[in-house]
Order: sequence, then structure tokens, then C-alpha cells
Amino acid sequence: MAQRERTQAGGRERSGARPAAVAAAEAGPQPLGQGELALQTSSESAECWAALHFPLLPLEALGLGPACASGRPCVVLQSEGASPRVLEANEAARRLGVLPGLGLVAALALEPALEVSLRDPRRERRLLDRVAAEALGFTPRVSLEPPDGVLLEVRGSFSLFGGASALGEALLARCAALGVQPRLAIAPTPLAALVLARAGRPQFITADDRLIGAIAPLPLGMLRWADATLARLESVGVATLGEALRLPRAGFARRFGNEALDTLDRLVGRRPDPRRAHVMRERFRARCEPSFELTGHQAILRHVEPLLVELESFLRGNQSAVTGLRLRLWHRTRAGSEIPPATSIVLRLSAPEFSAARFGPLLAERLAQSVLPAPVQRCSLRSGELQPLIAQSHSLWRPGEHGGATVAEAPALIERLRARLGAEAVYGLCLVPEHRPERAWCVTEPGLPAARLRSAAEGATQAARPEPGRRPLWLVQVPQRLPGAPRNLRLLDGPERIETGWWDGREVSRDYYVALDPEGARVWVFRERLPPHEWFLHGVFG
Amino acid sequence: MGKLHPLEQLLGHPAIWRGRSTAPTDTLSTGFSTLDAGLPGGGWPCTGLIEILTPRTGLGELRLLVPLLARLGGESPARWAAWIAPPFEPYAPALTGYGVPLDRQLVVRTAVPLWAMELALDSGACAVALAWAGRAQAKHLRRLQLATLRGRTPGFLFRPLSEAGEASPAQLRLSLEPTPGGAVVRLLKSRGGAREPMELSWPGDHGAA
Repeated sequence: MAQRERTQAGGRERSGARPAAVAAAEAGPQPLGQGELALQTSSESAECWAALHFPLLPLEALGLGPACASGRPCVVLQSEGASPRVLEANEAARRLGVLPGLGLVAALALEPALEVSLRDPRRERRLLDRVAAEALGFTPRVSLEPPDGVLLEVRGSFSLFGGASALGEALLARCAALGVQPRLAIAPTPLAALVLARAGRPQFITADDRLIGAIAPLPLGMLRWADATLARLESVGVATLGEALRLPRAGFARRFGNEALDTLDRLVGRRPDPRRAHVMRERFRARCEPSFELTGHQAILRHVEPLLVELESFLRGNQSAVTGLRLRLWHRTRAGSEIPPATSIVLRLSAPEFSAARFGPLLAERLAQSVLPAPVQRCSLRSGELQPLIAQSHSLWRPGEHGGATVAEAPALIERLRARLGAEAVYGLCLVPEHRPERAWCVTEPGLPAARLRSAAEGATQAARPEPGRRPLWLVQVPQRLPGAPRNLRLLDGPERIETGWWDGREVSRDYYVALDPEGARVWVFRERLPPHEWFLHGVFG
Repeated sequence: MGKLHPLEQLLGHPAIWRGRSTAPTDTLSTGFSTLDAGLPGGGWPCTGLIEILTPRTGLGELRLLVPLLARLGGESPARWAAWIAPPFEPYAPALTGYGVPLDRQLVVRTAVPLWAMELALDSGACAVALAWAGRAQAKHLRRLQLATLRGRTPGFLFRPLSEAGEASPAQLRLSLEPTPGGAVVRLLKSRGGAREPMELSWPGDHGAA
């Protein structure tokens, strides 16, 4: 490889007009690209970087990429500048002669039915973030290369995925699922991988000694240096990376700056090239802006589902789960109308969850209950706080069979009930150490209170634990007035006087009786001690 | 040891029920010896829909189930006892008094009790589901009966006695009427079991005359 590179570069040197100034000034010193690297014999590099370059990102971010099936000619315009120019055009537009760099007027003259969109850098960035989130499934070392690249250090993942090409295929398949078509290259240094990907060379180079040979013929423009620098290099006959690497170091640094030299060093791996690791956000946020208004629940759900899938991949990449979600549906509003700008649907889960298959039906239930005042223009999904995901093994038995564990099913049942009936409709019971019957219990979060109750109120509840049969199994929470004296009741037991609560203004002063009503039901009734001594029904023994 | 006759082997299968004979079913003790003796298999069936018909609520139908709730509360994988659309508030101090653990009770307030019950029975997260419903169509009851078989959970459905004439796919149907200090239970539909009404008395109830 090194031999070939040398001859290639040498050939260009002979044919190209190498400026005498450069050659004369740097007589003797070591050329940039060779020397040490040619001596290296180790075949495998310590690091392998996979670079994803997205040439069509402006189109893909707007959903107009090659994956989009409409087949209409579309272009994306450069947003800055006085005269709008075509930044990127899809296949159909290119076939009509609308090429990047064309003015908008000229493009419309070529194809009047051209679909024109403005470039949206924020959406491009969001798409890159999504790709990075997917990339975290391949390696923990992911780095963004805005505006159109993502880098992954994949050396450690080769054995898991079965080699570089299998990993590359898997990576491209994930990207295709996101609707983007990147160019992929793998090289021992991040910059080299990027340069290969930008040049459209899908090479997988995992050995250091093949690196120079692969990048030498690539044009210098792939490094994205400033135009002035590139023009000056061009003027001295240096157009490819190989030619630049052959230039003497000291003179190169003096003429083009230390930064440029540093870039070349990082390109070939002579200097370390630390990359800022991509860190996932603390919360998930995503939005969906369909090009038309959504009216039916089904249509909204169809558009929310991809967001949930995205959420799942985000959570999986983070190894975390959430207990809350908020979906906001933004309505079409006019100035002065009464319609609120957005409807919020908040989902609370009783246990951390990450799978889209669980969120979907719960959101559908909640959505079915809400009335939307106006058509929906966009949806945004936001997660609550992330919690570490604790993977649980499934039980071998079906629930209830041989005492199979049911821990996993219990929260699911509560969530499904709550999704339809509301959070307050599903509750547990707990005791309160209190003599007033209606305050001796309270509503609590189902399932949890056992430990807390036992520790906090053990003594009190044990002491106040009534003997069976003294208290009714059914309580009429708000006592029912029994008109007149209880002539139709037969008093079986009593009175039991309960007179307490003077300290908080809800004093009770009652005589309780167990009585038999004419139909044979035993009831718990009381008589107010204060005039007018009315009778109330407070419980049924059931 | 003589081998069982093949025909008897076949008839011993739990899925086969012959007239008033008692097919072997898994049961849970009711806590009342009279009732255990009268019910097919000697207790509440472990799976299947059980309908309890009463002239009105509060006549002792809950007292009938309290021993079962207390027993299920002590079982090792903690599962809910779901109370679906109860007519009044289940009174926590009284339940504790009977030894029913409160942390396993789940109260569901709903206008669609049968839906919630199907969900509870199907989920497998409940040890037992109790629901109070008025009128119900036979096809809905059939769904509940199937759900109890899927989730292997007994489901108790409390309905008014006036529904006794309606057809029902429930596995066990009984009516309950109060007596002083107890109740009379009649089996309306069962796979075997006693034909005579069973007299129960509530032990230890204060004021039971």
C-alpha cells in the first residue's frame, strides 16, 4: 500500500507543476505523510472510527429524502443570502436539471411545479441526534460532527457484530429505518473516516498501514478547510491529501498555519484526536409536524406512534425508563378565539416503563377520553424524569399458576384501569389511628402502604384494631339522615359513645347502635347527642 | 392394585361433568363448614365466575367472603383483591378486624364494572375480583367466565336476586338471604353440590341475636 501511494504521489509530482518556492525552501526536511507511518507494521489499528456522512440531510430532515415515495421534484433552499439558491435537490428534480447551486428563479423556470422548502437547521440537528441515539446501540463512544456527520468508535464492537462489514450493514439498516441514507466509511482515525465518507468511498479500513494509501487520492476539499487556504494550495499544485502530506512540515506550518498541520497530523493518526462524546439528553423530547391537520384520534395516534418508537430507542440507549409522559397537541388557533393553544395529555405510570407497546394503548385510552376543541397541527412528546432501568426476568409460570410471580402484572393492571377511569378511581385502603369512624381510614396509593403503615402506625393500629363484628364492613362515607325516630329499626346492641374531635372543629358526639332493618340487614346507626337528636345511617354490616 | 377401568379414567377428567356428580375441581375453602360441605368440590372454585344473588346489598354477602379474603391475603405471591364498583366504601378498620390485609385491597370506582372486572380477571394480578353489577347480558357474563379461566382467578359477581331468572354462563350461582345472625344460601346453578338450602351463622358477630 505504502509503495503504491508513493508511486501515485510521485507520479503527480512529476506531472504537476510543483512550485519551485516550496521545493527550494524545504529542501531536506522530512515529508509530512511518510517516514514513521511507512515503518509501522502492526496490521490492526488500536481504534476504528465509523463515520456517517449525510449528503442529503437537508432533504431528509424535511421528510423529502429518497425514502420519501412521492416522486415529486423537491428542492431545499439555502436560508441565508439575498437571492435564494438551491441547496439540495431530490432525484426527480435533478433529472429535470435542477441542481444544487441554481438560483430559485432559474429552478422554477425549469420546473414550475417544483416543491420548494426552506432549509431547517434545527430539524437537521434533531435528525442527527436521533441517529446518534441509534448509534449508541453500537458503541458507547459516539460523537456528533455537525452539520452532517456522526462518528462512532467501533473497534470494540466488531466481535459482537461479526466484523466490520456486518457492523456497517447493521448500522446502515438502522439509518434506513430512520429514513436517512448516509455514506459510511471506517478508518483508524476519525478524520480519515469522515474524509472517506464525504468523498463517497465506502471503504472499511481497519489496519493502520492501509490508511495513507486509501486517503491519498482524495481531494483536499474533503477536509473542509477555508476556501482561501484551499485556493493557495491549489495554486501551488497541491490538490489531494497525498500531495499535502508530502509537503515538508516546517514550511507547511509557516505558510498555512499550525492548525492546518495539526489537522493533517490528526488525519493520519500522528496526533491524538480526542472527540467530544455525545451525551444523551436528560429527558426525551420529540415533536411531529405533519403537513396537514389531524382531526381524528386514529390519525393522531398514527402520528404519535413513531414518537413512541423513538422514545423507546432513546430509553434503551440510555438504559433507563420513565414513569411519566406528556403529549401536547397543538391546535389551529386564530387570534381572539377561545380555543386554548394546546391540549395536554399527561400519562402517569405506577412503575417505570420503556416500551412503546405499553405506552401506545395507554395513550390511546387517554386520547379517547379527551375532547379536542380544534384540529391538531403538531404533536410534541416529552418524557418525565429518567430512572435507571432494572431489567426483570419473566416468570416461568403464567400468573396464578403454581404461584407464578405477579409483580410485573400488578402495575400494568392499575395503569390500564387508570388510563380509562382516571387516577382517583383506583385506590388502596389504609388505616388512620383515629376514633371518628369516617376518619379511621383513608384512600392511598394501591399496594405500597404495607411497609409504611406497619412501621409508622403499628402500635396505634394494633391497639385500635377492632374486634371482628364491632365495625361494619361497609361504611356510608357521608352519614345518611334517617327521617324520624328509628321506629322500623330493631336495636340489637349499643349504645357505643364516640365523642371526640373537638380540637379541629369537626367534633362528633354520637351514640352508635347496631340495628336490624326490616329487610333483615344489620346496619350501624347513630343518634346525635346534641339536639335535635337526629338519627343517621353510617354503615352496613354486609 | 387393580387398574382403573378406562371408562372411569375418562370420566375422572375434570372437564367432564355428569349430572349431580361432583367433578374434581380445585377449590378454596369458604371458611364455613356447612358451605364447604354443600359446595361442589368442598369450597369456592379456584377458577370460574361465581354469581351471588341477594335481594339487596348489605345482607351478608361480604361477610360470606371475608374468610376467603383473609386467607388469600396470606398467600405468598402478593396479589390484589379487586373491589370493583362497590356500593359503599369498604371499611378498612372492619376488614383489619377480620384479618384481611389492607395492602392487597384494590378499590376501583367505575361505571363500567364488567369491563374492569374482565381486565382484573384477565391480568393475573388479582387473587380474586369482586364486582357489583346490576343488569348484565349473558354474553358479557360469558366473557367474564372465559376471563376467569384465562387468568386463573375466581371472580365474584354480586347481582340482585331479581336476575335469578335470567340465563347465566356462570360456573356457580347462589342466592343469599339473611336470617337473624346468619344467612341461608341456595345453590341455583352448580356442577354438583347440595340441593338443600344451607344455613350459615356469622360467628363472633357482635349483636347477632
